[in-house]
Amino acid sequence: MTEPILRVDGIVKTFGGLHAVNDVSFDVGKGMIVGLIGPNGAGKTTIFNVISGYYAPTRGKVFFKGSDISGLPPYKLAKMGIGRTFQVVKPFPGLSVLENVMVAALCKHPRKHDARQHAWEILEFTGLASRADDAAASLTLPGRKRLEISKALALEPELLLLDEVVAGLNPTEADRTIELILKLRDQGISILVVEHIMRVIMNISDQVVVLNFGQQIALGKPVEVARDPVVIEAYLGEEAA
Amino acid sequence: MRRGILAFGLFVGVMALVPAFVQNAFVLRIVTELFMWIVLAITWDVMAGYAGYLNFGHGAFFGAGAYVTAILMMRYGWPFFVTLPVAGLFAGVAAFLAGIPTLRLKGAYFAIATWALALAVQQLALVLDITGGPDGMRLPPFLDPVFFFYLILAVAVATFLLLWVLLEWAPFGLKLKSIREDESGAMALGLNPARIKVQAFILSAVPAGVLGGIYAFWITFIDPASVLADIITDQAMVMAVFGGLGTLLGPVIGAIIVFSFKTIFWAYLSDYQVLYLIILGGGIALTVVFLPNGIWGTIIGHIQGRNALHKGMSLNMPPGRSPVQGADVND
Repeated sequence: MTEPILRVDGIVKTFGGLHAVNDVSFDVGKGMIVGLIGPNGAGKTTIFNVISGYYAPTRGKVFFKGSDISGLPPYKLAKMGIGRTFQVVKPFPGLSVLENVMVAALCKHPRKHDARQHAWEILEFTGLASRADDAAASLTLPGRKRLEISKALALEPELLLLDEVVAGLNPTEADRTIELILKLRDQGISILVVEHIMRVIMNISDQVVVLNFGQQIALGKPVEVARDPVVIEAYLGEEAA
Repeated sequence: MRRGILAFGLFVGVMALVPAFVQNAFVLRIVTELFMWIVLAITWDVMAGYAGYLNFGHGAFFGAGAYVTAILMMRYGWPFFVTLPVAGLFAGVAAFLAGIPTLRLKGAYFAIATWALALAVQQLALVLDITGGPDGMRLPPFLDPVFFFYLILAVAVATFLLLWVLLEWAPFGLKLKSIREDESGAMALGLNPARIKVQAFILSAVPAGVLGGIYAFWITFIDPASVLADIITDQAMVMAVFGGLGTLLGPVIGAIIVFSFKTIFWAYLSDYQVLYLIILGGGIALTVVFLPNGIWGTIIGHIQGRNALHKGMSLNMPPGRSPVQGADVND
Protein backbone atom coordinates (compact mmCIF):
# COMPACT_ATOMS: atom_id res chain seq x y z
CA MET A 1 0.00 0.00 0.00
CA THR A 2 1.22 3.49 -0.78
CA GLU A 3 1.97 5.98 1.94
CA PRO A 4 -1.19 7.29 3.61
CA ILE A 5 -2.07 10.97 3.37
CA LEU A 6 -2.53 11.13 7.09
CA ARG A 7 -1.05 8.90 9.77
CA VAL A 8 -2.06 9.41 13.36
CA ASP A 9 0.38 7.55 15.53
CA GLY A 10 -0.26 6.97 19.24
CA ILE A 11 -1.77 10.39 19.96
CA VAL A 12 -2.23 11.26 23.63
CA LYS A 13 -3.70 14.59 24.66
CA THR A 14 -4.15 15.47 28.31
CA PHE A 15 -5.70 18.55 29.86
CA GLY A 16 -4.33 18.76 33.38
CA GLY A 17 -4.71 15.19 34.59
CA LEU A 18 -7.54 14.34 32.24
CA HIS A 19 -6.82 12.14 29.24
CA ALA A 20 -9.02 13.65 26.53
CA VAL A 21 -7.48 11.34 23.98
CA ASN A 22 -5.42 8.31 24.90
CA ASP A 23 -3.29 6.43 22.39
CA VAL A 24 -5.22 6.84 19.17
CA SER A 25 -3.69 5.54 15.92
CA PHE A 26 -5.15 5.30 12.42
CA ASP A 27 -4.37 6.08 8.79
CA VAL A 28 -6.27 7.94 6.14
CA GLY A 29 -5.33 6.59 2.71
CA LYS A 30 -5.38 8.66 -0.44
CA GLY A 31 -8.91 9.19 -1.75
CA MET A 32 -10.46 7.50 1.27
CA ILE A 33 -13.19 8.61 3.61
CA VAL A 34 -12.50 7.70 7.21
CA GLY A 35 -15.24 8.17 9.77
CA LEU A 36 -14.48 9.08 13.35
CA ILE A 37 -17.32 8.29 15.70
CA GLY A 38 -17.98 8.03 19.38
CA PRO A 39 -20.40 9.23 22.04
CA ASN A 40 -20.33 12.82 23.34
CA GLY A 41 -17.02 13.69 24.95
CA ALA A 42 -15.23 10.76 23.36
CA GLY A 43 -12.46 13.07 22.14
CA LYS A 44 -13.37 13.40 18.46
CA THR A 45 -12.98 17.12 18.26
CA THR A 46 -9.81 16.95 20.36
CA ILE A 47 -8.31 14.62 17.76
CA PHE A 48 -9.35 17.10 15.08
CA ASN A 49 -7.73 19.94 16.94
CA VAL A 50 -4.52 17.95 17.32
CA ILE A 51 -4.40 17.03 13.62
CA SER A 52 -5.18 20.57 12.47
CA GLY A 53 -2.61 22.13 14.79
CA TYR A 54 -4.86 23.82 17.35
CA TYR A 55 -3.52 21.56 20.10
CA ALA A 56 -0.03 20.12 20.32
CA PRO A 57 -0.21 16.41 21.18
CA THR A 58 1.02 15.47 24.66
CA ARG A 59 2.54 12.32 23.15
CA GLY A 60 2.46 10.70 19.76
CA LYS A 61 2.93 12.03 16.26
CA VAL A 62 0.90 13.13 13.27
CA PHE A 63 2.30 12.57 9.77
CA PHE A 64 0.99 14.27 6.64
CA LYS A 65 2.22 12.70 3.40
CA GLY A 66 5.05 11.14 5.34
CA SER A 67 6.36 14.23 7.12
CA ASP A 68 5.97 14.88 10.81
CA ILE A 69 3.54 17.75 11.34
CA SER A 70 2.91 17.35 15.08
CA GLY A 71 2.76 20.70 16.82
CA LEU A 72 2.87 22.84 13.66
CA PRO A 73 0.50 25.84 13.84
CA PRO A 74 -2.84 25.66 11.98
CA TYR A 75 -1.93 28.26 9.37
CA LYS A 76 1.10 26.24 8.24
CA LEU A 77 -0.98 23.09 7.96
CA ALA A 78 -3.61 24.98 5.98
CA LYS A 79 -0.91 26.03 3.52
CA MET A 80 0.39 22.46 3.32
CA GLY A 81 -3.03 21.23 2.25
CA ILE A 82 -5.10 20.39 5.30
CA GLY A 83 -8.52 22.01 5.33
CA ARG A 84 -10.87 21.76 8.29
CA THR A 85 -14.33 22.82 9.32
CA PHE A 86 -15.47 23.62 12.82
CA GLN A 87 -18.27 21.91 14.68
CA VAL A 88 -19.27 25.26 16.10
CA VAL A 89 -19.16 27.04 12.78
CA LYS A 90 -16.83 30.00 12.47
CA PRO A 91 -18.07 32.26 9.72
CA PHE A 92 -16.68 35.79 9.48
CA PRO A 93 -20.13 37.27 10.14
CA GLY A 94 -19.39 40.83 9.06
CA LEU A 95 -17.91 39.79 5.72
CA SER A 96 -19.87 38.67 2.69
CA VAL A 97 -20.12 34.99 1.82
CA LEU A 98 -17.81 35.56 -1.14
CA GLU A 99 -15.27 37.40 1.02
CA ASN A 100 -15.34 34.55 3.53
CA VAL A 101 -14.29 32.10 0.86
CA MET A 102 -11.85 34.56 -0.71
CA VAL A 103 -9.85 34.70 2.50
CA ALA A 104 -9.22 30.98 2.19
CA ALA A 105 -8.64 31.17 -1.57
CA LEU A 106 -5.87 33.73 -0.99
CA CYS A 107 -3.83 30.88 0.43
CA LYS A 108 -3.19 29.39 -3.01
CA HIS A 109 -4.07 32.46 -5.09
CA PRO A 110 -2.26 35.41 -3.51
CA ARG A 111 -3.73 37.92 -5.99
CA LYS A 112 -7.14 39.21 -4.98
CA HIS A 113 -8.56 38.94 -8.48
CA ASP A 114 -7.60 35.26 -8.81
CA ALA A 115 -8.83 34.53 -5.31
CA ARG A 116 -12.21 36.08 -6.10
CA GLN A 117 -12.55 33.99 -9.25
CA HIS A 118 -11.60 30.81 -7.43
CA ALA A 119 -14.00 31.61 -4.59
CA TRP A 120 -16.81 32.00 -7.15
CA GLU A 121 -16.08 28.58 -8.57
CA ILE A 122 -16.18 27.05 -5.11
CA LEU A 123 -19.48 28.75 -4.30
CA GLU A 124 -21.00 27.49 -7.52
CA PHE A 125 -19.81 23.99 -6.68
CA THR A 126 -21.21 24.07 -3.15
CA GLY A 127 -24.43 25.81 -4.17
CA LEU A 128 -23.92 29.08 -2.31
CA ALA A 129 -23.31 31.28 -5.34
CA SER A 130 -26.73 32.93 -5.07
CA ARG A 131 -25.81 34.15 -1.57
CA ALA A 132 -22.33 35.39 -2.50
CA ASP A 133 -22.97 39.04 -1.70
CA ASP A 134 -24.97 38.49 1.46
CA ALA A 135 -23.39 38.87 4.86
CA ALA A 136 -22.29 35.55 6.27
CA ALA A 137 -24.26 36.49 9.39
CA SER A 138 -27.47 36.27 7.36
CA LEU A 139 -27.00 32.58 6.53
CA THR A 140 -29.04 29.97 8.37
CA LEU A 141 -27.34 26.95 9.94
CA PRO A 142 -27.35 24.78 6.80
CA GLY A 143 -25.90 27.68 4.86
CA ARG A 144 -23.23 28.23 7.47
CA LYS A 145 -22.22 24.59 7.39
CA ARG A 146 -22.00 24.80 3.63
CA LEU A 147 -19.89 27.93 4.00
CA GLU A 148 -17.55 26.06 6.35
CA ILE A 149 -17.03 23.41 3.69
CA SER A 150 -16.60 26.04 0.99
CA LYS A 151 -13.88 27.79 2.98
CA ALA A 152 -12.01 24.56 3.67
CA LEU A 153 -12.28 23.65 -0.03
CA ALA A 154 -10.96 27.02 -1.15
CA LEU A 155 -7.63 26.01 0.39
CA GLU A 156 -7.50 23.32 -2.32
CA PRO A 157 -6.69 20.74 0.33
CA GLU A 158 -5.49 17.19 -0.13
CA LEU A 159 -6.95 16.28 3.21
CA LEU A 160 -10.28 17.57 4.45
CA LEU A 161 -11.32 17.33 8.10
CA LEU A 162 -15.09 17.66 8.42
CA ASP A 163 -16.40 18.15 11.96
CA GLU A 164 -20.13 17.41 12.12
CA VAL A 165 -21.12 19.04 8.85
CA VAL A 166 -24.30 16.97 8.62
CA ALA A 167 -25.55 17.21 12.21
CA GLY A 168 -28.45 19.62 12.61
CA LEU A 169 -29.50 19.51 8.95
CA ASN A 170 -32.89 18.28 7.82
CA PRO A 171 -32.90 15.01 5.78
CA THR A 172 -32.92 16.73 2.38
CA GLU A 173 -30.05 19.01 3.28
CA ALA A 174 -28.18 16.14 4.88
CA ASP A 175 -28.45 14.13 1.65
CA ARG A 176 -27.16 17.07 -0.35
CA THR A 177 -24.16 17.42 1.95
CA ILE A 178 -23.43 13.69 1.77
CA GLU A 179 -23.58 13.90 -2.00
CA LEU A 180 -21.12 16.77 -1.84
CA ILE A 181 -18.73 14.80 0.37
CA LEU A 182 -18.81 11.85 -2.03
CA LYS A 183 -18.17 14.18 -4.97
CA LEU A 184 -15.11 15.55 -3.21
CA ARG A 185 -13.85 12.05 -2.53
CA ASP A 186 -14.26 11.26 -6.23
CA GLN A 187 -12.08 14.27 -7.00
CA GLY A 188 -9.31 12.60 -5.04
CA ILE A 189 -9.55 14.50 -1.75
CA SER A 190 -8.97 12.36 1.31
CA ILE A 191 -11.53 13.02 4.01
CA LEU A 192 -11.74 12.47 7.74
CA VAL A 193 -15.31 12.88 8.98
CA VAL A 194 -16.56 13.30 12.51
CA GLU A 195 -20.25 12.67 12.77
CA HIS A 196 -22.84 11.68 15.33
CA ILE A 197 -25.26 10.32 12.83
CA MET A 198 -24.51 6.62 12.29
CA ARG A 199 -26.43 6.40 9.03
CA VAL A 200 -24.08 8.97 7.49
CA ILE A 201 -20.85 7.44 8.72
CA MET A 202 -21.81 3.89 7.87
CA ASN A 203 -22.88 4.82 4.33
CA ILE A 204 -19.93 6.88 3.21
CA SER A 205 -16.87 5.68 5.16
CA ASP A 206 -14.26 3.28 3.88
CA GLN A 207 -12.91 2.90 7.39
CA VAL A 208 -14.35 3.78 10.78
CA VAL A 209 -12.49 4.69 13.95
CA VAL A 210 -14.50 4.45 17.17
CA LEU A 211 -13.55 6.43 20.26
CA ASN A 212 -15.00 6.14 23.75
CA PHE A 213 -13.77 8.20 26.70
CA GLY A 214 -10.67 9.08 24.69
CA GLN A 215 -9.79 5.45 24.01
CA GLN A 216 -9.79 3.94 20.57
CA ILE A 217 -12.08 0.95 20.91
CA ALA A 218 -12.45 -0.16 17.29
CA LEU A 219 -11.02 0.37 13.81
CA GLY A 220 -12.23 -1.27 10.65
CA LYS A 221 -14.77 -1.40 7.87
CA PRO A 222 -18.21 0.02 8.75
CA VAL A 223 -19.96 -3.38 8.72
CA GLU A 224 -17.35 -4.95 11.00
CA VAL A 225 -17.44 -2.05 13.41
CA ALA A 226 -21.24 -2.06 13.54
CA ARG A 227 -21.17 -5.70 14.68
CA ASP A 228 -18.41 -5.20 17.22
CA PRO A 229 -19.84 -5.91 20.70
CA VAL A 230 -17.51 -3.35 22.33
CA VAL A 231 -18.85 -0.65 20.05
CA ILE A 232 -22.46 -1.68 20.62
CA GLU A 233 -21.87 -1.57 24.35
CA ALA A 234 -20.32 1.88 24.18
CA TYR A 235 -23.28 3.22 22.25
CA LEU A 236 -26.19 1.37 23.83
CA GLY A 237 -24.91 0.58 27.31
CA GLU A 238 -24.08 -2.77 28.85
CA GLU A 239 -27.55 -4.06 29.58
CA ALA A 240 -28.95 -3.44 26.14
CA ALA A 241 -26.00 -5.28 24.66
CA MET B 1 -13.99 53.36 -8.18
CA ARG B 2 -13.32 55.87 -10.98
CA ARG B 3 -15.70 58.32 -9.32
CA GLY B 4 -13.87 57.80 -6.04
CA ILE B 5 -10.51 58.60 -7.60
CA LEU B 6 -12.00 61.67 -9.27
CA ALA B 7 -13.50 62.90 -6.00
CA PHE B 8 -10.24 62.25 -4.18
CA GLY B 9 -8.21 64.12 -6.82
CA LEU B 10 -10.66 67.01 -6.77
CA PHE B 11 -10.54 67.23 -2.98
CA VAL B 12 -6.75 67.19 -2.87
CA GLY B 13 -6.60 69.73 -5.71
CA VAL B 14 -8.94 72.12 -3.93
CA MET B 15 -7.02 71.68 -0.69
CA ALA B 16 -3.72 72.37 -2.43
CA LEU B 17 -5.12 75.72 -3.53
CA VAL B 18 -6.19 76.77 -0.04
CA PRO B 19 -2.99 78.71 0.79
CA ALA B 20 -3.36 80.69 -2.44
CA PHE B 21 -6.73 82.03 -1.34
CA VAL B 22 -6.50 81.95 2.42
CA GLN B 23 -4.04 84.50 3.73
CA ASN B 24 -5.41 84.35 7.23
CA ALA B 25 -2.77 82.50 9.28
CA PHE B 26 -5.36 81.36 11.80
CA VAL B 27 -7.53 79.67 9.20
CA LEU B 28 -4.53 78.05 7.53
CA ARG B 29 -3.40 76.72 10.86
CA ILE B 30 -6.83 75.25 11.53
CA VAL B 31 -6.90 73.47 8.17
CA THR B 32 -3.36 72.16 8.75
CA GLU B 33 -4.36 70.84 12.14
CA LEU B 34 -7.44 69.23 10.61
CA PHE B 35 -5.23 67.17 8.30
CA MET B 36 -3.16 66.14 11.29
CA TRP B 37 -6.26 64.82 13.02
CA ILE B 38 -7.38 63.03 9.88
CA VAL B 39 -4.10 61.10 9.86
CA LEU B 40 -4.40 60.24 13.55
CA ALA B 41 -8.02 59.11 13.15
CA ILE B 42 -7.48 56.92 10.07
CA THR B 43 -4.35 55.30 11.48
CA TRP B 44 -6.13 54.60 14.77
CA ASP B 45 -8.93 52.99 12.77
CA VAL B 46 -6.49 50.55 11.14
CA MET B 47 -6.36 48.76 14.48
CA ALA B 48 -9.86 49.52 15.76
CA GLY B 49 -11.96 49.15 12.62
CA TYR B 50 -10.00 46.70 10.53
CA ALA B 51 -8.21 44.56 13.13
CA GLY B 52 -10.74 44.96 15.96
CA TYR B 53 -8.21 46.17 18.51
CA LEU B 54 -8.83 49.33 20.54
CA ASN B 55 -5.46 51.01 20.89
CA PHE B 56 -5.65 53.39 23.83
CA GLY B 57 -2.01 54.37 23.39
CA HIS B 58 -1.97 55.57 19.80
CA GLY B 59 -0.89 59.05 20.85
CA ALA B 60 2.37 57.61 22.18
CA PHE B 61 3.52 56.91 18.60
CA PHE B 62 2.80 60.52 17.74
CA GLY B 63 4.60 61.78 20.85
CA ALA B 64 7.56 59.47 20.31
CA GLY B 65 7.94 60.78 16.76
CA ALA B 66 7.84 64.34 18.07
CA TYR B 67 10.61 63.60 20.56
CA VAL B 68 12.74 61.78 17.97
CA THR B 69 12.71 64.83 15.70
CA ALA B 70 13.28 67.24 18.59
CA ILE B 71 16.17 65.21 20.03
CA LEU B 72 17.88 64.61 16.69
CA MET B 73 17.60 68.26 15.70
CA MET B 74 18.50 69.85 19.03
CA ARG B 75 20.98 67.41 20.50
CA TYR B 76 22.64 66.06 17.36
CA GLY B 77 22.11 68.88 14.88
CA TRP B 78 20.35 66.79 12.25
CA PRO B 79 18.45 68.61 9.50
CA PHE B 80 14.68 68.50 9.95
CA PHE B 81 13.80 66.36 6.93
CA VAL B 82 16.32 63.67 7.79
CA THR B 83 14.72 63.23 11.20
CA LEU B 84 11.28 62.37 9.76
CA PRO B 85 12.08 58.89 8.42
CA VAL B 86 13.78 58.17 11.74
CA ALA B 87 10.68 59.33 13.63
CA GLY B 88 8.53 57.00 11.52
CA LEU B 89 10.98 54.13 11.89
CA PHE B 90 11.16 54.64 15.65
CA ALA B 91 7.36 54.51 15.94
CA GLY B 92 7.32 51.40 13.74
CA VAL B 93 9.92 49.60 15.85
CA ALA B 94 8.07 50.63 19.00
CA ALA B 95 4.86 49.16 17.56
CA PHE B 96 6.68 45.96 16.67
CA LEU B 97 8.10 45.57 20.18
CA ALA B 98 4.88 46.58 21.94
CA GLY B 99 2.71 44.59 19.56
CA ILE B 100 4.31 41.19 20.04
CA PRO B 101 3.20 40.82 23.67
CA THR B 102 0.09 43.02 23.68
CA LEU B 103 -1.57 41.76 20.49
CA ARG B 104 -1.88 38.34 22.13
CA LEU B 105 -4.42 39.99 24.39
CA LYS B 106 -8.02 40.47 23.43
CA GLY B 107 -10.68 43.09 23.93
CA ALA B 108 -10.38 45.16 27.07
CA TYR B 109 -7.05 43.57 27.98
CA PHE B 110 -5.37 45.01 24.90
CA ALA B 111 -6.95 48.39 25.54
CA ILE B 112 -5.64 48.45 29.12
CA ALA B 113 -2.17 47.27 28.09
CA THR B 114 -1.78 49.96 25.44
CA TRP B 115 -3.14 52.62 27.76
CA ALA B 116 -0.60 51.60 30.41
CA LEU B 117 2.27 51.52 27.91
CA ALA B 118 1.41 55.02 26.72
CA LEU B 119 1.42 56.22 30.33
CA ALA B 120 4.81 54.59 30.80
CA VAL B 121 6.16 56.42 27.75
CA GLN B 122 4.86 59.70 29.14
CA GLN B 123 6.49 59.03 32.51
CA LEU B 124 9.73 58.11 30.76
CA ALA B 125 9.76 61.42 28.90
CA LEU B 126 9.20 63.17 32.24
CA VAL B 127 12.24 61.64 33.95
CA LEU B 128 14.81 61.29 31.17
CA ASP B 129 17.48 63.95 30.62
CA ILE B 130 17.55 63.61 26.87
CA THR B 131 13.88 64.57 26.58
CA GLY B 132 14.29 67.55 28.86
CA GLY B 133 11.98 66.05 31.48
CA PRO B 134 8.92 68.09 32.44
CA ASP B 135 10.46 71.23 30.88
CA GLY B 136 10.12 69.74 27.43
CA MET B 137 12.11 70.85 24.43
CA ARG B 138 12.23 74.00 22.34
CA LEU B 139 12.94 73.80 18.64
CA PRO B 140 14.21 76.58 16.37
CA PRO B 141 11.21 78.57 15.17
CA PHE B 142 10.47 78.09 11.51
CA LEU B 143 7.49 80.26 10.97
CA ASP B 144 6.20 79.30 7.56
CA PRO B 145 2.57 78.20 7.84
CA VAL B 146 2.33 77.44 4.11
CA PHE B 147 5.30 75.07 4.34
CA PHE B 148 3.69 73.12 7.19
CA PHE B 149 0.33 73.15 5.48
CA TYR B 150 1.73 71.45 2.39
CA LEU B 151 3.92 69.07 4.37
CA ILE B 152 1.08 67.82 6.54
CA LEU B 153 -1.29 67.73 3.57
CA ALA B 154 1.29 65.56 1.78
CA VAL B 155 1.55 63.21 4.77
CA ALA B 156 -2.23 62.97 4.97
CA VAL B 157 -2.59 62.22 1.25
CA ALA B 158 0.26 59.70 1.31
CA THR B 159 -1.15 57.97 4.40
CA PHE B 160 -4.63 57.80 2.95
CA LEU B 161 -3.35 56.34 -0.32
CA LEU B 162 -1.10 53.87 1.47
CA LEU B 163 -3.98 52.65 3.64
CA TRP B 164 -6.33 52.53 0.68
CA VAL B 165 -3.90 50.40 -1.32
CA LEU B 166 -3.13 48.04 1.54
CA LEU B 167 -6.55 47.80 3.19
CA GLU B 168 -9.01 48.17 0.32
CA TRP B 169 -7.15 47.20 -2.83
CA ALA B 170 -4.63 44.59 -1.72
CA PRO B 171 -5.71 41.40 0.09
CA PHE B 172 -4.18 42.62 3.37
CA GLY B 173 -7.37 44.40 4.47
CA LEU B 174 -9.49 41.33 3.90
CA LYS B 175 -7.08 39.19 5.91
CA LEU B 176 -7.11 41.73 8.72
CA LYS B 177 -10.92 41.87 8.77
CA SER B 178 -11.19 38.09 8.88
CA ILE B 179 -8.94 38.07 11.93
CA ARG B 180 -11.19 40.72 13.49
CA GLU B 181 -14.22 38.53 12.82
CA ASP B 182 -12.80 35.22 14.05
CA GLU B 183 -9.16 34.79 14.83
CA SER B 184 -9.03 31.04 15.30
CA GLY B 185 -11.20 30.53 12.24
CA ALA B 186 -8.79 32.66 10.21
CA MET B 187 -5.91 30.49 11.37
CA ALA B 188 -7.51 27.43 9.78
CA LEU B 189 -7.45 29.28 6.46
CA GLY B 190 -3.71 29.79 6.35
CA LEU B 191 -3.46 33.17 8.10
CA ASN B 192 -0.93 33.81 10.84
CA PRO B 193 -2.85 36.24 13.05
CA ALA B 194 0.09 37.25 15.24
CA ARG B 195 2.11 38.31 12.22
CA ILE B 196 -0.71 40.10 10.41
CA LYS B 197 -1.75 42.01 13.53
CA VAL B 198 1.80 43.18 14.21
CA GLN B 199 2.08 44.32 10.58
CA ALA B 200 -1.13 46.28 10.98
CA PHE B 201 0.10 47.80 14.24
CA ILE B 202 3.29 48.97 12.54
CA LEU B 203 1.24 50.34 9.66
CA SER B 204 -0.84 52.39 12.09
CA ALA B 205 2.21 53.64 14.02
CA VAL B 206 4.58 54.84 11.30
CA PRO B 207 2.44 57.70 9.87
CA ALA B 208 1.67 58.85 13.43
CA GLY B 209 5.40 58.96 14.20
CA VAL B 210 6.24 60.99 11.07
CA LEU B 211 3.38 63.33 11.87
CA GLY B 212 4.67 63.78 15.42
CA GLY B 213 8.05 64.80 14.03
CA ILE B 214 6.48 67.44 11.81
CA TYR B 215 4.28 68.66 14.65
CA ALA B 216 7.30 69.24 16.91
CA PHE B 217 9.00 71.46 14.32
CA TRP B 218 5.72 73.23 13.52
CA ILE B 219 4.72 74.02 17.10
CA THR B 220 8.39 74.54 18.18
CA PHE B 221 7.77 73.44 21.75
CA ILE B 222 6.96 69.98 23.03
CA ASP B 223 6.63 68.54 26.50
CA PRO B 224 5.15 65.33 27.92
CA ALA B 225 1.93 67.09 28.84
CA SER B 226 1.27 68.13 25.26
CA VAL B 227 2.54 65.56 22.73
CA LEU B 228 2.16 62.56 25.03
CA ALA B 229 -1.21 63.54 26.51
CA ASP B 230 -3.88 60.86 26.38
CA ILE B 231 -6.27 63.45 24.94
CA ILE B 232 -4.55 62.90 21.57
CA THR B 233 -5.62 59.27 21.47
CA ASP B 234 -9.06 60.16 22.84
CA GLN B 235 -9.69 62.77 20.14
CA ALA B 236 -8.63 60.42 17.35
CA MET B 237 -10.89 57.72 18.78
CA VAL B 238 -13.87 60.03 19.03
CA MET B 239 -13.39 61.12 15.42
CA ALA B 240 -13.07 57.57 14.12
CA VAL B 241 -16.05 56.26 16.09
CA PHE B 242 -18.18 59.24 15.09
CA GLY B 243 -17.35 58.81 11.43
CA GLY B 244 -17.53 55.03 11.35
CA LEU B 245 -15.02 52.29 12.11
CA GLY B 246 -13.68 49.90 9.55
CA THR B 247 -13.91 52.29 6.62
CA LEU B 248 -11.27 54.69 5.37
CA LEU B 249 -13.63 57.58 4.72
CA GLY B 250 -15.48 57.29 8.03
CA PRO B 251 -12.67 58.58 10.24
CA VAL B 252 -11.92 61.34 7.70
CA ILE B 253 -15.51 62.54 7.87
CA GLY B 254 -15.53 62.13 11.64
CA ALA B 255 -12.35 64.18 11.93
CA ILE B 256 -13.77 66.96 9.78
CA ILE B 257 -17.02 67.16 11.76
CA VAL B 258 -15.56 66.83 15.25
CA PHE B 259 -12.63 69.13 14.59
CA SER B 260 -14.83 71.76 12.95
CA PHE B 261 -17.20 71.62 15.88
CA LYS B 262 -14.31 71.98 18.30
CA THR B 263 -12.80 74.90 16.41
CA ILE B 264 -16.06 76.78 16.06
CA PHE B 265 -16.87 76.16 19.67
CA TRP B 266 -13.51 77.41 20.92
CA ALA B 267 -13.48 80.37 18.56
CA TYR B 268 -16.97 81.67 19.21
CA LEU B 269 -18.16 80.13 22.43
CA SER B 270 -14.99 80.04 24.47
CA ASP B 271 -16.90 81.41 27.47
CA TYR B 272 -18.71 78.10 27.60
CA GLN B 273 -15.62 75.88 27.39
CA VAL B 274 -16.95 73.47 29.99
CA LEU B 275 -19.85 72.70 27.70
CA TYR B 276 -17.56 71.48 24.89
CA LEU B 277 -16.63 68.17 26.46
CA ILE B 278 -20.16 67.65 27.73
CA ILE B 279 -21.66 68.14 24.27
CA LEU B 280 -18.94 66.02 22.68
CA GLY B 281 -19.43 63.22 25.23
CA GLY B 282 -23.20 63.33 24.73
CA GLY B 283 -22.75 63.27 20.97
CA ILE B 284 -20.52 60.23 21.15
CA ALA B 285 -22.87 58.39 23.46
CA LEU B 286 -25.75 59.08 21.08
CA THR B 287 -23.67 57.98 18.10
CA VAL B 288 -22.69 54.70 19.70
CA VAL B 289 -26.28 53.96 20.70
CA PHE B 290 -28.15 55.09 17.59
CA LEU B 291 -25.54 54.93 14.84
CA PRO B 292 -23.17 52.15 15.93
CA ASN B 293 -21.57 52.16 12.49
CA GLY B 294 -20.88 55.87 12.67
CA ILE B 295 -22.07 58.45 10.17
CA TRP B 296 -20.32 57.09 7.11
CA GLY B 297 -20.92 53.46 8.03
CA THR B 298 -24.65 54.17 8.25
CA ILE B 299 -24.67 55.97 4.91
CA ILE B 300 -22.91 53.18 3.01
CA GLY B 301 -25.08 50.67 4.84
CA HIS B 302 -28.11 52.33 3.27
CA ILE B 303 -26.50 52.66 -0.14
CA GLN B 304 -25.42 49.04 -0.30
CA GLY B 305 -28.61 47.85 1.36
CA ARG B 306 -26.88 45.25 3.39
CA ASN B 307 -27.15 46.69 6.82
CA ALA B 308 -26.56 43.32 8.39
CA LEU B 309 -23.02 43.36 7.11
CA HIS B 310 -21.58 45.80 9.58
CA LYS B 311 -23.62 44.99 12.61
CA GLY B 312 -21.28 46.83 14.89
CA MET B 313 -17.73 45.81 15.57
CA SER B 314 -17.11 42.67 17.52
CA LEU B 315 -14.89 44.34 20.05
CA ASN B 316 -16.44 42.92 23.15
CA MET B 317 -14.92 39.77 24.46
CA PRO B 318 -17.56 37.13 25.02
CA PRO B 319 -17.84 36.23 28.70
CA GLY B 320 -15.87 33.25 29.86
CA ARG B 321 -13.35 33.42 27.05
CA SER B 322 -9.67 33.43 27.79
CA PRO B 323 -8.01 36.73 26.98
CA VAL B 324 -5.20 34.88 25.22
CA GLN B 325 -5.56 33.88 21.59
CA GLY B 326 -5.91 30.30 20.49
CA ALA B 327 -7.50 29.23 23.73
CA ASP B 328 -11.06 29.29 22.47
CA VAL B 329 -11.09 26.27 20.22
CA ASN B 330 -14.40 24.58 20.60
CA ASP B 331 -14.56 21.09 21.93
